[in-house]
Amino acid sequence: MSRTTDVIVVGSGLAGLMAALAVARQGRTVRVASEGMGCLAIGTGCVDLLGYAPDGSSVEDPWASLPKLPASHPYTLLGEEKIRSALDVLVETAAKHGLGLRPAMQNGAPRNTRMPTIMGTLKPTYLVSDTFEPEELASAKHVLVASVRGFRDCRPALVIDQLRHYTEWADKNYTPCLIAPPFDDAVRALNALDLARAEERPGGRDWLMNSLKERATGCDLVLMPPICGRHAASTLARDLRAVLGCPVVEMLSIPPGVGGLRIRDALLRELAALDVEMVENANVTGAEVSEGNCVSLKISSTGRSYTAKAQAYVLATGGILGGGVILEPGSAHERVFGLELPLPEDVDKWTEPEIFGVHAISGLGVRVDDTLRPLAANGMPALKNVFFAGRTLGSHDPAVEKSGYGVALATGWQAGMAAAELAGASRRNEEAATGGKQ
Amino acid sequence: MSVRVSPDKCIACTTCVVHCPVARVTPKFLGPRMIGPAYERFRLLGLAEDDSLTYCANCKNCDITCPQGVPVSSINMLARAAHSKKHGSSLRDWVLAHGELQAKLLQIIPAGLKNFGMLNPLTRKVLDMFGIDKRAPLPPFAPKTFRQLVRELKQPALPRKVVFFPGCYVDVYDPQTGLDMVWAFNRAGYEVIAPDDFTCCGLPMIANGFWEDSHRHAKRNLAELARWREQGIPAVTGCPSCALTFRADLPEFFPDLVELHGGGVLEDAQDFLLECADRGELALDEAPGAGELSIIYHPPCHLRAQGNGLPGLKLLQRLKGVTARNANAGCCGISGSYGFKKEKYDIAQEIGAELFQVVRESGADFAASECGTCRVQVQHGSGKKALHPVSILRARLEGRRPA
Repeated sequence: MSRTTDVIVVGSGLAGLMAALAVARQGRTVRVASEGMGCLAIGTGCVDLLGYAPDGSSVEDPWASLPKLPASHPYTLLGEEKIRSALDVLVETAAKHGLGLRPAMQNGAPRNTRMPTIMGTLKPTYLVSDTFEPEELASAKHVLVASVRGFRDCRPALVIDQLRHYTEWADKNYTPCLIAPPFDDAVRALNALDLARAEERPGGRDWLMNSLKERATGCDLVLMPPICGRHAASTLARDLRAVLGCPVVEMLSIPPGVGGLRIRDALLRELAALDVEMVENANVTGAEVSEGNCVSLKISSTGRSYTAKAQAYVLATGGILGGGVILEPGSAHERVFGLELPLPEDVDKWTEPEIFGVHAISGLGVRVDDTLRPLAANGMPALKNVFFAGRTLGSHDPAVEKSGYGVALATGWQAGMAAAELAGASRRNEEAATGGKQ
Repeated sequence: MSVRVSPDKCIACTTCVVHCPVARVTPKFLGPRMIGPAYERFRLLGLAEDDSLTYCANCKNCDITCPQGVPVSSINMLARAAHSKKHGSSLRDWVLAHGELQAKLLQIIPAGLKNFGMLNPLTRKVLDMFGIDKRAPLPPFAPKTFRQLVRELKQPALPRKVVFFPGCYVDVYDPQTGLDMVWAFNRAGYEVIAPDDFTCCGLPMIANGFWEDSHRHAKRNLAELARWREQGIPAVTGCPSCALTFRADLPEFFPDLVELHGGGVLEDAQDFLLECADRGELALDEAPGAGELSIIYHPPCHLRAQGNGLPGLKLLQRLKGVTARNANAGCCGISGSYGFKKEKYDIAQEIGAELFQVVRESGADFAASECGTCRVQVQHGSGKKALHPVSILRARLEGRRPA
């Protein structure tokens, strides 16, 4: 592939898509190269900002807790204002494509909320569906917990049993309910996405509404798995609420979580409208670097390698699981540029015996400056035109902090902005050098 | 079968299940994760094959979307081959896998007669009973194959040469697209060699479980490709599925042949032409009096799987007076021979429904796609004429409306 572009974004998870959006909105050309689809497609669709402070305490107001984070944390590097602007972009873009997201409000102020999951646990998160009102959950007395027969991931009895362990959910009356599935020919165990897709089949909407209508009589809250459509613009959850006459809350699901697919749908629609080029199944294996600048990326795919050039690059390649960070016996490095990542010499110290504890490898990732450029061991930028975003970044632990999507979207957006600005400056310099003929 | 793909890189994240077009429309399919890496572990334990394996269309969306690089479709195709070897295959599947051979056997019969014989309602009814859906858009045979036509064609003597792999669809059913390709390469300064020794890329055989046949074809093709590679002549194809078979499937399935003949990379013809344009060998901004033209472009799944973006769309977008938009509506459903099968026809139509709607509502003059069976399916489902991007390129540069 010989065509050049202003910016190449590597990765199509939340960070990569936000970066591409930032570049395109700045009027620069952008190409997204991805291997696999990133975890947004299977996520819950809620955006965690900061669920737990570094001391392990539960966070109510994430904004108030940001100052407690260490100096190298991606949030600290960006600062509150840049995080807020990235969140605003996601909320506006989602709304434009029919998906309402907002922080849950308590006493007029945005706060973390504890969302029930299909396992009956509560998970702290920040951006949730805009139909969600925490007061309605708190005041509910009669809760219908609904699921679908044959959908093994979500068992109302388990949900109820588990929820009763939480103070705020202990004193409610629960009714478990299993409705009949919309298909009678399924050979596989149904998942939430199968059921969310029922909306697109003839009679699918009526199936859900009619199945729940009678059962919800006398209830003041319905908890159900996320099966109200897979598209950003789906109105099923809203319509269901109107038909049932009571609040309907989609619990957060294990993969496929459906909600993440709705966000992805909104972002992809926006990127398509901006003519962003998506290069799928492109495995970025290396880069050519000259004098601290990335000159090109090496892309391997289906038995062939080629180089791709841009003025600036955003790397949102994921962490250890996503393949952006490579762990080897005794060492760790970043995938594309081979940046060495510091780890304790003693391998036993990489992890902790306590599985939910703080593991050294969870905070592993690329160290960056406040414009998200990677740092060399001496603290200077190792690369001038490369910006890192998302799980590839070190100094944060999404599993412990509950900050994954927040970091992804804030760093993705800001990395894209920085790359677009740099590419714009490079273009202007080139034009000046060629007398504006290009 | 000596080749096996390890299922152990799969972390069961369900990303492939989310993006599988077949799993989307039918709960009869176990889905890529379950029938691929998960069931592979049972196969290794000697468990019998699961019936729903036949539902995999080999469209490769699982491979495209897998974050761990698991070649899910390869696991499925290897399992299908092992199953066919053990239990035999249906005559219907043999027929669909060996279209090129049948075309050769029927070569002495004039196309009109062949097409009457094959496409009349009575035959379609018989074919339907035999497993080829009577509603499926079987393409008619062309009066002469591409290779017959290209032999008769007088190409200008040009210093640079390129080897062209037409693919069965262009050779047997759609030679005009092949001729348009030759025209474009000539225009860019390349004489086109279309060797007679090339045969079917083998994908229909892989997809229908005819492993040995596919191996035989691969052997012949890779030997032929090596011959041209040694002479330093690049080889191209306009068909994404043929290209992907050479680039991804053959090295994975037949490492013995790749060792013997070297890798057989077929370049994407559209990408090649774009590079010609970038080097100034092919001017794309000429359209003598051809007016405006709007195109709705469908990216074939087998092109998306190649990791090289959408060069055919880029090519269209660089033509003067042409507005080309990506339909961006997923798989068309046909997957080669899949959508022709009686028990798969409805699935294929439902998979393609969103795309058909986007094409219908686009208001575009034409649909475009590089893949021959994608074009058949898009035209069948949307009613809009579908052309290869290079055919549109030729028409524009000749100053006429595509036909």
